[in-house]
Amino acid sequence: MMTTANTLTLSTLETRKLKRTGYVPAFLGGGLLAAMVPVLNMAVRREIYVSQSGSPFHILMDANWQLMAQLNIFLLVCGACILYHTEYADNGIQRAETLPMKASGLFLGKLCILFCSCLLPLCLETFSLLACCTRYFPKTPGLGAVMLKGMAFELALLLPTAAAMLFLSSLCRNMWMCLGTGVILVFLTSMLRSGNLVLAAVPFAAPYRMLHQFTAGQAGRLLLLSMGEVALFCIIEWIYTKLRRCFQ
Amino acid sequence: MKSNLTIPYSSQTGSMEIASRADCPKRQFSPLGLLSLFGVELLKIRRSKIFWILLIPAVMMWLPSALNADVNFVIDAYDISPDYNFFIQGYMGMAWFMLPATLVICNVLLHQTESAHRGLLKCLSLPVSTAKMCLAKFLVTVLLTAVQLFFSIASYYGAAALASRLYKYDFLLPPAYVCRSAALIYLAALPMAAVFWMVSVLIRTPVFSVGLGLASIVPSVLMLNTKFWCWYPMDYPFYMLMTEYGRIAPEVYDANVQLFPLLPVSIGVTLLCLAIACLRYSHEEKL
Repeated sequence: MMTTANTLTLSTLETRKLKRTGYVPAFLGGGLLAAMVPVLNMAVRREIYVSQSGSPFHILMDANWQLMAQLNIFLLVCGACILYHTEYADNGIQRAETLPMKASGLFLGKLCILFCSCLLPLCLETFSLLACCTRYFPKTPGLGAVMLKGMAFELALLLPTAAAMLFLSSLCRNMWMCLGTGVILVFLTSMLRSGNLVLAAVPFAAPYRMLHQFTAGQAGRLLLLSMGEVALFCIIEWIYTKLRRCFQ
Repeated sequence: MKSNLTIPYSSQTGSMEIASRADCPKRQFSPLGLLSLFGVELLKIRRSKIFWILLIPAVMMWLPSALNADVNFVIDAYDISPDYNFFIQGYMGMAWFMLPATLVICNVLLHQTESAHRGLLKCLSLPVSTAKMCLAKFLVTVLLTAVQLFFSIASYYGAAALASRLYKYDFLLPPAYVCRSAALIYLAALPMAAVFWMVSVLIRTPVFSVGLGLASIVPSVLMLNTKFWCWYPMDYPFYMLMTEYGRIAPEVYDANVQLFPLLPVSIGVTLLCLAIACLRYSHEEKL
C-alpha cells in the first residue's frame, strides 16, 4: 500500500519535470495546426465537399484526416523524445533511480502523461471538425454521436503509437537517435495506409485509419489489438528495465 | 586577434621578429580557419552513428519498390517507360519526406553534441569565431545530406539491379541521368537546410525547433500547388523531382524549371538565414 502511494506521488513529479521544456505549448500549437487543416480546406475548396452525399463528418474525415493524423503522429514522436530527454540530458535518470520507486514506474508515469496529452490535439481537432460541419453542411441528426465515436476511435488508435515511441525513446540516451528512428518508422509505415486488419494495427500506421472504413466487428478487434499492443510495450519496457540493471 | 597573440616584439625590427619566430615556433597562434573548424566538427560526430540514420532509410525505401517493381509495367495514361517510372516513384518519398526529416535530425544531432556537458560554453572560451563555427556546422549538415545523396543513388542501383533480375527487364538508367537528377534534388534542398539551421539556432527549446521542422514538411506538397510555392523552401526538392517527371510525361507537370522567381528567392533565403544564424549563434551563452 505504502509503495503504491509512493509511486503515485512520484509519478506526479513527471508533470513538474516538463515545466520549461515547452511540452504543453508544443501540443497546443500542433493541435491548433492540425485543427486548421479542415478549416482551410473548407475555405478554399468548399464546393467539392458540400456537393457530396453522406455524413458530413465522414466527408470531412476522408478529405482531411491523412494530414491531421500525420501531424498527430509527429507530435507524439516529438513529445515522447522530450519526455525521456529531460531524464537523459543531464544524467537525471541516475538520480531518478535512487528514488524509492520502481524503475518501471517512470515509464508508466510518462505514458500516462503522453496519453493525456493526446487528448489536447484531438479535442481541438474535434471542435474544428464540428465547426466545419455546422457551418457548411445542412443539419444532420445524430452528428454528435458519430463524431464522438469516430474521434474516440482515433484516440484509441493513437495509443499504441505513443507507447511504441515512448519505449523507443527510453532505449536511446541521445535525443537525435530516437528522433531519427521514430522519423524513419513514420516514413516506412506511411506506406501502409491501406491493407488488411493486421496492417491497420501496426503502430505508426494505425492512426491513418478511420472508423467508417471498418465494420463493427473489425473495429472491435482493432481496438482489442491496440490495447494488447500498449500492454505489450509496457511489458517489454518492464523487462528492459530489469535487464538494464544487470548490464549497467 | 593575430597581432595581439603572435609575437610580443612586433614593434621591433623585421629581422628580430623573424628570429623570434624561429626561436619559439610554439608561441605562434593562427585562428582556426573554416576548413579546420569543419574538420573539428566532423571529429565531434565521429561516434554518433549518424551514418546508420542516413543509410537505413535509403535502403529500406528502395527494397520494397524493387520487390514490387512489376507495378511499373502497368501502362497508365501518361505512357512512361517502367524504368523511368521506377526511378521517379522511388525518389518521391525521399524528396518529400526523408530529405527534410534527415536535415531536422542532423540539426538536433549537432546541437545535442554541443549542449551536452556545456560544450558550447567551453568552445566560447577558445579563440574561435562563433560565426565561423556556425558556418562549419552548417557545412556538416550539407556534407551529411551529400552522403545521403550518395547512399540513395547507390541503393537505387542496387534496387534497380535486383528488380531487373526479378522481372527480366532492364531497370537501370544511365548514371549521368541518375546523378544529375539526384544532385539537382539535393541542391534544391540547400535553402531548406539553411532555414532549418536558422530555426534550430534561434529556438533553443528542442521540442519547438524539431516540431516546427517536422510540421513544415507535412504541407509541402499542398504548397507546391499554390501560387506561393517559390516562397516555401521546403517544397523545392519535390519541385525539382516534378520537373523531372514533366520531362518524361509533359502532361503531368511543366518540364521547365522556372528559374526567375526560384533562383533569386532561394539564394536570398539561404543567405539571409545563414546570416541570421551566424549572428545569433550562441547568443544565450554569451549573455
